[in-house]
Amino acid sequence: MTSVLLLLSPTWLSWKNEFRRGGDRWGRRSFLFALSIGFWIGTFYVIRRVLTYFQSVHELGPALAYQLLLIVLLTFLSMLLFSNLITALSAFFLARDLDLIMSTPLSQDLFYYSRLIITTANSSWMVLFFSLPIFAAYGAVFGGGILFYLWVILCLPLFLIIPASFGVLVTHLFVYFLPAKRVRDILFFVGLFAFIVIYFLFRLSQPERLVRPESFGHFVQFLTAMETPSSPYLPSSWSAEILAGTLFQRSTDQGFYYALMASYALFFPLATSWISSAVYLDGWSKAQESRQGRRKLEWLDRVIFLVTRPFSPVVQAVMVKDIKTFMRDATQWSQVFLLVALVVVYLYNFKVLPLDRSPMPAETIRIVVSFANLALVGFVLSAVAMRFAFPAVSLEGKAFWLLQTAPISLKSLLWSKFWLNLLPLLLIGELLVFASNLMLRVPAWMMMLSLVTVFAMTFGITAICVGVGAIYPRFAYDHVAEISTSFGGAICMIFSIGFIGLTVMVEAWPIYLLASQSLRSGETQTVTPWLIAPSLLTAFALAVVAVVVPIRKALGSLEAMKD
Amino acid sequence: MIRIVDLRKQYGRLAAVDGLNIEVSEGEIFGFLGPNGAGKTTTIRVMMGILKATSGQVILGGHDIEREPEQAKAIAGFIPDRPFIYEKLSAKEFLIFIGKLRRMDSARLQRRIAELLEHLELLDWQDELVEGFSHGMKQRLVLCAALVHEPRILVVDEPMVGMDPKGARTLKDLFRSLARAGTAIFLSTHSISVAQEVCHRIGIIQKGHLIASGTMADLHRLTRAQDRNLEDVFLELTRQQDDLAVIERDRQL
Repeated sequence: MTSVLLLLSPTWLSWKNEFRRGGDRWGRRSFLFALSIGFWIGTFYVIRRVLTYFQSVHELGPALAYQLLLIVLLTFLSMLLFSNLITALSAFFLARDLDLIMSTPLSQDLFYYSRLIITTANSSWMVLFFSLPIFAAYGAVFGGGILFYLWVILCLPLFLIIPASFGVLVTHLFVYFLPAKRVRDILFFVGLFAFIVIYFLFRLSQPERLVRPESFGHFVQFLTAMETPSSPYLPSSWSAEILAGTLFQRSTDQGFYYALMASYALFFPLATSWISSAVYLDGWSKAQESRQGRRKLEWLDRVIFLVTRPFSPVVQAVMVKDIKTFMRDATQWSQVFLLVALVVVYLYNFKVLPLDRSPMPAETIRIVVSFANLALVGFVLSAVAMRFAFPAVSLEGKAFWLLQTAPISLKSLLWSKFWLNLLPLLLIGELLVFASNLMLRVPAWMMMLSLVTVFAMTFGITAICVGVGAIYPRFAYDHVAEISTSFGGAICMIFSIGFIGLTVMVEAWPIYLLASQSLRSGETQTVTPWLIAPSLLTAFALAVVAVVVPIRKALGSLEAMKD
Repeated sequence: MIRIVDLRKQYGRLAAVDGLNIEVSEGEIFGFLGPNGAGKTTTIRVMMGILKATSGQVILGGHDIEREPEQAKAIAGFIPDRPFIYEKLSAKEFLIFIGKLRRMDSARLQRRIAELLEHLELLDWQDELVEGFSHGMKQRLVLCAALVHEPRILVVDEPMVGMDPKGARTLKDLFRSLARAGTAIFLSTHSISVAQEVCHRIGIIQKGHLIASGTMADLHRLTRAQDRNLEDVFLELTRQQDDLAVIERDRQL
């Protein structure tokens, strides 16, 4: 135990030193702390309102709250699975201190358990952070009392350790068995595996059942289905059973489910430790060999060259370098899997929306949902831009001096980052809004309005992310994900969401008028341009401001670095 | 003290090290020379158990690095070519971490840390975070970490890169004094002058093969160049091997 703590000591000592010697960072810390508290209070308030509404629904209330709990826990489980796979690969096979640690006389077991703890902590803290206000809201609304919070404290460590050790196990097996010559191939499979698991986990939850009671034939049948987990073999369902037992006074064998969780939480780490001791050294040796060399894909080089051809040679050179670096850095492109999973789940939700069950006319509800979708697409785009556009300047890392000393203006550099990120973001945004509007069967004018608005919004979001990323660059980082979770990341997110909110607000009024018109007549008779044009022009003006201001500020900030 | 027996390490179809046999005795400094990509770092990484050999054995102080890794590593110190140090730890915290990993008791560890920091002129910086250190200071700290447990074997990969003349002199003196105290030193380097100055024996590796090994006198004999320095000998030997490779390729064609 002492040795495991010793192996963890660099991590906590680093935190301690960073905290104590932070100096001028107290302002930032206070801001982030306030932001976190604000987020917690906001989440608690929203979930409490939803649960209070559920509670008011006679008989069905607890069942609905239980289903929501199941979905929340299942979402957490899938997030944990994905992040554990990536974190385990990094902690066990790619970390920079591995050479140092492995050249010391350390037993394999000690190494394994210390890395398992690091993997669990690194991949679970965010889920833990998000889950606490949700559990607090459940406790407050359904009056679980001290016993409920006790169960939460008992269940959470087990709930976190199971996916963590499972992720470590799968990563070990991937690295050992795959005939991969490159770590990126392994990450490809890890990403693919995670995507399939996450997709199936979501399908298992069947959230659409909540809105189709008629498919059950009888209310009692419906109620029974609502009170039963749709995937009884997952730790998320076991945890939900335990917590529901106290929250909704259900006759659940909490002891049995807890024993079930505990047995898996003990078995998985132990089994993984056996496998790790058998395959780790071979796998790690292989992972290092895989760092050598790469396949040269000439056709890809030609495609990159053609795509970047419209730009000036200097900007083109930076763009080609960025694209190639992105494609060769597994820690960056593996995030695309998360993006694909997000898009698939997003579009699927539109497919199963029960619009025909609404008491309002179908056309009205289609317009309203499509309009709300504009904001949602904006949020998705800003989340994606946070991952890819925000770190664009920071990713130059310690090689930034190369660009500083090269005959390239900082303006060209910033614009190259902007265009490079804009094109894929435009593609995603337009695709999302087009596909979801197609599924919603919105009128043509709404389709056009959505496409044009998202087009303008993407320019603004990209510039905000690239610009704020350049104002708060982080050239020294261990992992690319650190860049977006920094102080600058929080600022960027606030500006980005503010911009989306403003854009949606200026279009809200004409949409309200058109939706009201369709509410009265069943359909929108005429769409006069004067009704939409002013709002659309304002949205465009907003986008121009969102492009010009951050890029100009970023330029000033980069210039000031020379001082 | 160090025995490398028929060592072979293959990356796919490429043999980075092929049939390597080396022995280094107690108190001996063995210089491991070779051009870029010759297989020096691969050999060292296999020696320290960081890479797995395709075949062959590495025995450190009688312990096979693959079969008894903990015992073998316990008596060895390692200075990699691109060392990693936790940037957010202070120099002292870093050395305490390394010493405890090597199961040193506190009293001995504190004594050794003070000795080494003093000797390598880092004592005034012991409570500063590593992130504020210069390149040379980081190298000296890595050296402290490799020596903190008084190893019987020291494996060093490119020790002089980025060091100022004073630092380089201190390091060479340190190697000599360690060897006098009985430490076996395996020193991989590009720097021919370092090898010539401090090494008792020298091995030259090219394309994964040990093409020559012995004292300076042995190497001179091999190239029939008594009056030439090690640089000439090294270039002559590696050139001969390149010529042989060309002849062999032509013969096969």
